[in-house]
Amino acid sequence: MELTIVHLYPDSMSLYGEYANVAVLRRHLETMGVEVTVRNYTCEDTLDFSDADFIYMGAGTENRQKAVLTAAAPCADALRAAAEKEAVILFTGNAMETLGASVTDVSGRVWPGFALAEFTTEETERRTPGDVVAVPALWDTPAVGFMNKCSLTRGVTSPLFRELPLGFGNEAEHGAEGYVSGNVFGTHLTGPVLVKNPDFLDVMIRRLFARKGWEIPETLPVLPHGREAYAVTLRELQGRIK
Amino acid sequence: MRMLFAIIVCRLLRFAGKLVGKGSSLPGKYALKICPDVLGRVKLPDCIIAVTGSNGKTSTVEMIAAILRRSGRTVVYNEEGSNQIEGVTTLILCNSTLSGRMKGDVLLLESDERYARRSFRWFHPTHFVITNLYRDQLTRNGHPEWVYRSILPAVHPETTLVLNADDPLVSCFARDHEKVRWFGLDRCSISSPEHRGVYHDGARCPVCQGRMEYEWYHYEHIGRYRCADCGHHRHEADFAVTALDLEGGTLTIGGETEISLAFRSIYNVYNILAAWSVCSLAGVDRETMASVINNYILKNGRMVQFTLGAHRGVLLTSKHENSVAYDTNLDYIARTKDPCQVLVIVDAISRKYFTGETSWLWDIDFDRLNCPQVKKVLLCGKYVNDLAMRFDYTGLPAEKVVCYDTVPQAANALAEDGGDEALYVVTCFSDRDKLLNLVKKEAD
Repeated sequence: MELTIVHLYPDSMSLYGEYANVAVLRRHLETMGVEVTVRNYTCEDTLDFSDADFIYMGAGTENRQKAVLTAAAPCADALRAAAEKEAVILFTGNAMETLGASVTDVSGRVWPGFALAEFTTEETERRTPGDVVAVPALWDTPAVGFMNKCSLTRGVTSPLFRELPLGFGNEAEHGAEGYVSGNVFGTHLTGPVLVKNPDFLDVMIRRLFARKGWEIPETLPVLPHGREAYAVTLRELQGRIK
Repeated sequence: MRMLFAIIVCRLLRFAGKLVGKGSSLPGKYALKICPDVLGRVKLPDCIIAVTGSNGKTSTVEMIAAILRRSGRTVVYNEEGSNQIEGVTTLILCNSTLSGRMKGDVLLLESDERYARRSFRWFHPTHFVITNLYRDQLTRNGHPEWVYRSILPAVHPETTLVLNADDPLVSCFARDHEKVRWFGLDRCSISSPEHRGVYHDGARCPVCQGRMEYEWYHYEHIGRYRCADCGHHRHEADFAVTALDLEGGTLTIGGETEISLAFRSIYNVYNILAAWSVCSLAGVDRETMASVINNYILKNGRMVQFTLGAHRGVLLTSKHENSVAYDTNLDYIARTKDPCQVLVIVDAISRKYFTGETSWLWDIDFDRLNCPQVKKVLLCGKYVNDLAMRFDYTGLPAEKVVCYDTVPQAANALAEDGGDEALYVVTCFSDRDKLLNLVKKEAD
């Protein structure tokens, strides 16, 4: 069993700890006997998604996100083609915004997105960094994490999280957050989202196995400390909600 | 009249506050309510020095004060570290005459990097030292470029900027600013052509996002850089460390003044150099500066020695949410030679606010502990599982890493393990007393 991960712009889009999403996914897949290849791209590279099973991009600064939007624009068609071929795509932090139709910066300049979805994003002068507890649309346990954004995303019809008991959603405090359609996932949760949320990681693994036509085991591997760390963070954050 | 009233109220509140042990920001807050432009009205000294940046503010300011005082100047500065506008107001008004003239030759301010523009709306520093901009408290600060943009409006055209030439983001403050002096490290024993660290914040140019090329790195993204696209580059330093021997604990400034380091950390080197640069610009002679900073032991107590069982311990205060601070202390441990154990505590992430955010653990290069003299690494605190998971992705052999749920459990294990290796404790202000309360501290 072989599988290819494409990590987009880890040198640019790395606000903190994003690389761990790829590392933890790879570790779990390898535990399941999958041979994993990871390909990193920088802004100077031409992107090749032809063999990509999983495509990841993490959060960056506002400037870096614009640089990436510019650099990857010629490859947007290829990214959409990969989505049509059901590659699993996960964009976290402000990388999520690039999945949409456009990002408008604070000066009013409109930057075209990769247009995998119709939503649009507007950057704001105000930044809303903060802890997050989220109610997922696709799995049962709350997601935990952190958000570090200065934008509003409008027009999402299929959010990844129904509501945020703690945190700022796409358009509003406590509102719906993120985006999911088929195998395309976006969320403003930042950093090692898949490390912090073992059930989110399991969703990624199942989708990858399904795409490959591999039989999905009844139980997925549980590596040490992950579930325990999640339980502590969830307990702490839920304590804040009360 | 309002200014006089503000000064009196500020002083009275400060006096009362000291009696009951209250902080220093409240008096200034009320003074600003009475007279919002009071900072613009008070006559300030001719020399106003401000220091900002992610790391090293407190230490740098402390050394600047010591040097200036030795040179015979009277220095007023915010020793308590209240570095937002309210604290600055308290400081200035409590050191002013009733006629509104600040006493002292120099006003020295440690300035919060995000709120500097509020303080400097009413007056501006003659010298503004910017030490570095790193990933630091992202739960409050957003990211380094965001902090850069927050500081920018605080920079007055007449201010002389004293900038770390080796930091590519700090160097951006010199764009469109005339009065700039640079400090930096020449190529020296710690310089490497290879980047070391989990992430590389200097990989892309902060001006044009092009690809950066480094001749050498001193640590992390600090070094000699040039953007292949727009040419943004490291400037030649006006004040330079020309030789450095961290193991031997000496550095040379300007090719001629040798300084001994009481604490052999790269941070200490930059803090000393920053203090040297601005004091030099303020007119202090070389001999006076050297006599003060030679073997200077910081009072702010970030390194504490103690005993625990038969272990001789050193607490290396880092900052949670600040991977560079951690890496620097891990480097310090990696450079030691004798067998040791290391204790890492992550219990409360901040002492000032709540957060459960642990992403920053993944930015710390814990692989630096993967060296033969480190016999064991103990992890503990509320977030021990997050720490343990992070360590699972290092090259450290699993048998070297042990987890405890609480600080007392880890301390107990160390006290009773029968070993007498050195012990290094890496943690934050928010967590360090949880250990220090359980050990025998060495007298200062």
